[in-house]
Amino acid sequence: MTRATRLMAKDISVAFAKPAVLDELFVCIPDGKLTVIVGPNACGKSTLLRALARLQPVGTGQVILDGKSIHKQNSRSVARRLAILPQMPTAPEGLSVRDLVIRGRTPHQSALRQWSKDDAKAVALALEQTGMTQNACRPLEALSGGQRQRAWIAMALAQNTDILLLDEPTTYLDLPHQIELLTLVQNLNRETGRTVAMVLHDINLAARFADHVVALKNGRVHCEGSPTEVITEKTLGEVFSLPCSVIADPIHGTPHVIPA
Amino acid sequence: MILRLPFLSLHFSQRAASVGSGLFLALLIAFVASVQLGAFPLSLQQTWSTFSGNSEGVQRMIVIEHRLPRILTAIGAGAAFGMAGSMFQTMLRNPLASPDVIGFNAGASCGALLAMALTGDFVLPGAMTGGIITAIAVSALAWNNGLHPYRLILIGIGASLTLMACADVLMTKLDALTAAEMAKWLVGTLNTRDWDDVFLVWTGLALLTPLVIWLQFPLSRICMADDIATGLGLTLSPMRMLITATAVALVALAVSVAGPLPFVAFVSGPIARRLVRGGSPAVLHSAVVGAIVTLLADIAARSVPIAQLPAGVFTAIIGAPVLMWLLLVQFRKGTL
Repeated sequence: MTRATRLMAKDISVAFAKPAVLDELFVCIPDGKLTVIVGPNACGKSTLLRALARLQPVGTGQVILDGKSIHKQNSRSVARRLAILPQMPTAPEGLSVRDLVIRGRTPHQSALRQWSKDDAKAVALALEQTGMTQNACRPLEALSGGQRQRAWIAMALAQNTDILLLDEPTTYLDLPHQIELLTLVQNLNRETGRTVAMVLHDINLAARFADHVVALKNGRVHCEGSPTEVITEKTLGEVFSLPCSVIADPIHGTPHVIPA
Repeated sequence: MILRLPFLSLHFSQRAASVGSGLFLALLIAFVASVQLGAFPLSLQQTWSTFSGNSEGVQRMIVIEHRLPRILTAIGAGAAFGMAGSMFQTMLRNPLASPDVIGFNAGASCGALLAMALTGDFVLPGAMTGGIITAIAVSALAWNNGLHPYRLILIGIGASLTLMACADVLMTKLDALTAAEMAKWLVGTLNTRDWDDVFLVWTGLALLTPLVIWLQFPLSRICMADDIATGLGLTLSPMRMLITATAVALVALAVSVAGPLPFVAFVSGPIARRLVRGGSPAVLHSAVVGAIVTLLADIAARSVPIAQLPAGVFTAIIGAPVLMWLLLVQFRKGTL
């Protein structure tokens, strides 16, 4: 099977101690698709995403972006093609939503050229797409958890990259906010054709929103494919050691997991 | 607000601009007051006539030869301390950090005392050498696959405490008179500054300030988490090295003309950031705050009837209440 891919991990290993967190892992992030990485705790999901975004140095193997090792490329030039939103990001006290989103323009700016028409356009668009235009002047700490997460996504969007990586963007959000946020991400993927890869804990949500699912186990890709291919009773038993039944979601038709 | 020139476009908030103007005005008022006040008080009219060049001997000598060099040194040293402190605080993401964190002041004190104990002279070269060696040693020890804030803070504090103890030991080796003189220098003083000091500190500032202005851009991004700054395309460790080197150069400049004035670098950043708000590093505002605090401390030092107290005694007395007041006001208004 061949498919277009600009971002891939080629046999990467990361070891803080034994056993290795990532063990000669190979994965391609399909272009223009919404990929979700799932797996049990400590399977290396976040490490993989961080490695794909050059935040995590790799021991052996390499992460390839546009045909070249990402760790050997100029960080600024990478930041114009790939944006990452890490888990639980922090910002200085008092920073407004607009100022945060403006920070997303960093790879397109320099100390001497801090503002251009493109910057203004990208910031306005990112605020609009995330529905944060109304809250642009409020400081981050005055926002609710869901709004704050939207503000961070707006920052990543303002970076205007073809590839967007999100590390557990739904952490600490209640179910309605999780759905709202994932719908937003899905719309962005559909409307702008951005490649999105994210780590999610909730398998049912992964099944519902993903085009492509990658299941990790012990630092390796256990299996990958469409939600219906990956989210089966057999794989869940193998990956999560979870006895369960998988039925078709009566409304959306996507796989739905019911733990036994 | 956007400042647009053919080769430059700067982005800053309206509040930053108005707070900046306000601080500048305050500095101007403190400057005029400082020229007037002292053992030989001058009226506003006399001050003006001195500057416009039609005044007689004594008055002119007091202002031009004594007060002005001292005042301009205070402003320059205060600005350098203010910028350095605010840069360290932003880079280390610790609002209460100061250049002392990297051990510069402790190293400078130790170096000055060592030079005095060994040679009986060379206080300033001793201080510079001691300070810079300490800063380099602390950065080198903290380096492990890059420069990490927490390691820098911990190693810096350890080095500072060790050097302070060494300084105390060296102090006991000096005779009482020299020790008293050195104690004064170690507190930081602006007594008997001349135009050479003014020239030194302002040349240094003229060279370093453009770099500081340039560094504001990476600084206002590096103050977010490492992962975010890297994701935005910054290369953290080289940038941290450059910021540290610039801040150490600023501290060295200030110490060389005013001694290790305590507290200015520590207090200027928090005051400036609380005034500007919006999560901005406010490095240039900190410079003006630092200048005001130092100048006020020097006015206080000159106005107290006890002869020739070092200004360093007053920097904390003036800086700390301002910071506490700002914290209290914001706490009450719930904007903290």
